[in-house]
Amino acid sequence: MRLEDVFLVGLSHKSAPIEVRERVALSGDALKEALGELRRADGVKEALVVSTCNRVEVYVQAGAEDPARRFFTARAAEAGDHLYAKEGVEAIRHLFRVSASLDSMVVGEQQILGQVKEAYGIASAAEAAGAFFSRLCNRAFATAKRVRTETEIGRGATSMSQVAVELVRKIFDDLKGRSILLAGAGKMGCLSAKALAALGADRILVTNRSPERGLALAHQVGGTFREWPELPRLLVEADVVIVSTGAPTYVLGRELVEEAMRARRHRSLCLIDLSVPRNVDPAAGELSDVYAYDVDDMEKVVQSTQEARRGEALRAEAIVEAEVMAFAKERETRAALPVLAQLRRHAELIARAEVEKTLSQVGPKLDDKGRRSVESMALAIVNKLLHRPTARLKEAASSGDGSLAGAAAELFGIENETQGAPAGREAAPREEPGVSADRG
Amino acid sequence: MSIQILRIAALLYAAAAAGYVLYFARPRHARAAAFGFWALAAAFGVHAVAIGVGCGEFGGAEFFSFRGGLVLLVWLLAGAFLLLQRFYRLPSLGAFVTPFTLAVLLPALFGDPTHPEIAPEAIRQPTLALHIVAAFLGVALFAIAFGTALMYLLQEREVKGKRFGALFSRLPSLDALDRMVERLVRMGFVVYTVALVAGTITATAVWKSAWSWDPKQILSLAIWILYGAMVQLRHSGWHGRRYAFLTLLGFTLVAGSMVSLRAVPGVTRHSGDYGMQAPGGDAR
Repeated sequence: MRLEDVFLVGLSHKSAPIEVRERVALSGDALKEALGELRRADGVKEALVVSTCNRVEVYVQAGAEDPARRFFTARAAEAGDHLYAKEGVEAIRHLFRVSASLDSMVVGEQQILGQVKEAYGIASAAEAAGAFFSRLCNRAFATAKRVRTETEIGRGATSMSQVAVELVRKIFDDLKGRSILLAGAGKMGCLSAKALAALGADRILVTNRSPERGLALAHQVGGTFREWPELPRLLVEADVVIVSTGAPTYVLGRELVEEAMRARRHRSLCLIDLSVPRNVDPAAGELSDVYAYDVDDMEKVVQSTQEARRGEALRAEAIVEAEVMAFAKERETRAALPVLAQLRRHAELIARAEVEKTLSQVGPKLDDKGRRSVESMALAIVNKLLHRPTARLKEAASSGDGSLAGAAAELFGIENETQGAPAGREAAPREEPGVSADRG
Repeated sequence: MSIQILRIAALLYAAAAAGYVLYFARPRHARAAAFGFWALAAAFGVHAVAIGVGCGEFGGAEFFSFRGGLVLLVWLLAGAFLLLQRFYRLPSLGAFVTPFTLAVLLPALFGDPTHPEIAPEAIRQPTLALHIVAAFLGVALFAIAFGTALMYLLQEREVKGKRFGALFSRLPSLDALDRMVERLVRMGFVVYTVALVAGTITATAVWKSAWSWDPKQILSLAIWILYGAMVQLRHSGWHGRRYAFLTLLGFTLVAGSMVSLRAVPGVTRHSGDYGMQAPGGDAR
């Protein structure tokens, strides 16, 4: 017979389309209810459900994976085709990789760790996650933190607006005392302007050919609207210009920018062109103190980030692997401890019973000293006999070999008791007082 | 004795350089920069002791030799850099400055400190000490400005050329570098002005003439005018790339004049002719 193990059944952006994911995703009260349901299922000791827009995963500490699988098939029959299932160390490794953002759509993104933490918090509050998942999750979070600090997997920009922020920071450091100009009403431009505003810009100026949309946009990004014909003057006022109009030609030509640079007395100007076809003449970027970037340039940054992250991911995997192995080893050591305690208790019970039997027959003939000698002899035999098996079991457990513990349990006929030991008790493995003092 | 202490200081300088370079290569290790800072501070302290002991041994005479000049320059450079880090945090600058200090100090570590014979009354001129210290401090500030300008040009090439690689992410922003260059040039100019004034006063007292068409005087005046012009140009809007090039040019002139005037023996009265009684025009 095996001890209960940890099982994972789930689906993610890699295995299932959004249509399936959205049918099984849960949050709030529905999630709590589902956790209770899992917890009540036959053979399930603990449960954890991680549900985000990219993945739904059910982790259970149980005798089999079936309850976790039922979680999905009961909600969407077709989910069965998209499920992946893992067991034991594999399941542990998966949780560690998910927490460390190695399994994410954008590898290294920051949100997932918070989402797993939240999932654990809910499972813990719903009393579905107990001592084992507490240890497992805390180890997973610590691993994720290690990955984040010891590798550069979270570095770099992965979206256009992040790239814009990074570029501007390398030119101006921050935008205190400077202005942003948003020209045109493109969606990317709006996002970038908002991201850049976080660098402490004094003002955001907005201009657009159609004043209605321009005014709405200004309201949206918290800026002031200026009429389109003012553009040449705005180029003198602003330090960062985001251009995303739908115009089919260059809106900012070389002459216009050159003139603005003269009026600016060559204070640096950053032009970010988010339009396709381009709205900023590439020749304008050749002027001194003008830093112009188009969509392709920014895409290059995103790609180089992804490349760098792929390299860092290899180092992150090594960290995760080391942590998974350490955790698995610890788990097996813990699993062996109850067997040891049972073995002791079993042997001591026999010894006590025999002592009592003997004393009831010959007791009256003995004085107190004699009785004590009989008692201590019995316990000494137990200790001597168990001394070596104890050492061996501890050794085997700490070297990661859990099979010896199972064999011992079977050999001494104590497997039923061991298996019945609830996971909760496992959290605080305490040897009996008489056992810890090794008198052999 | 002082040279042994100086060697200990050199080890600490090397440790500081290692810390800052490691930080530049692996910005994740913020502790490497902190280590570099404290190693440099320790080096500065030990170096101060070495200078003090050296003054006790040779009565300050060693600072009239080329070797002594380098020792003083490195000490002032380290001190100036430490102060800058204290007020304007720019740790990546350390990766450029600390290896430079080490390279300048290395030749001074070997060979015995020689000291030309100098009339003792010349040393007792208080303006002379001020002249020497201010001149080297000015040079130290110009040297840091040189390093910063170099960083600016490297970063400008990355930013403008759309090369978003390792240098791009490690170097500070163009604006921060540009402002730092400006600050250093301004501070260096002020200190250098003090050095020239103190030097003129000393020359009047020792050589009995403020201006004697000494090549060192001519070059120093040229350097002073160049940096003065740079301070002025800043007010009329010069910055960035052009300014960085000027800064490079300025320090090249400074370093070039220091080396070339030493290389040609006897070309300047600054190389040993300090005697009040020295016959005029007879540069040894």
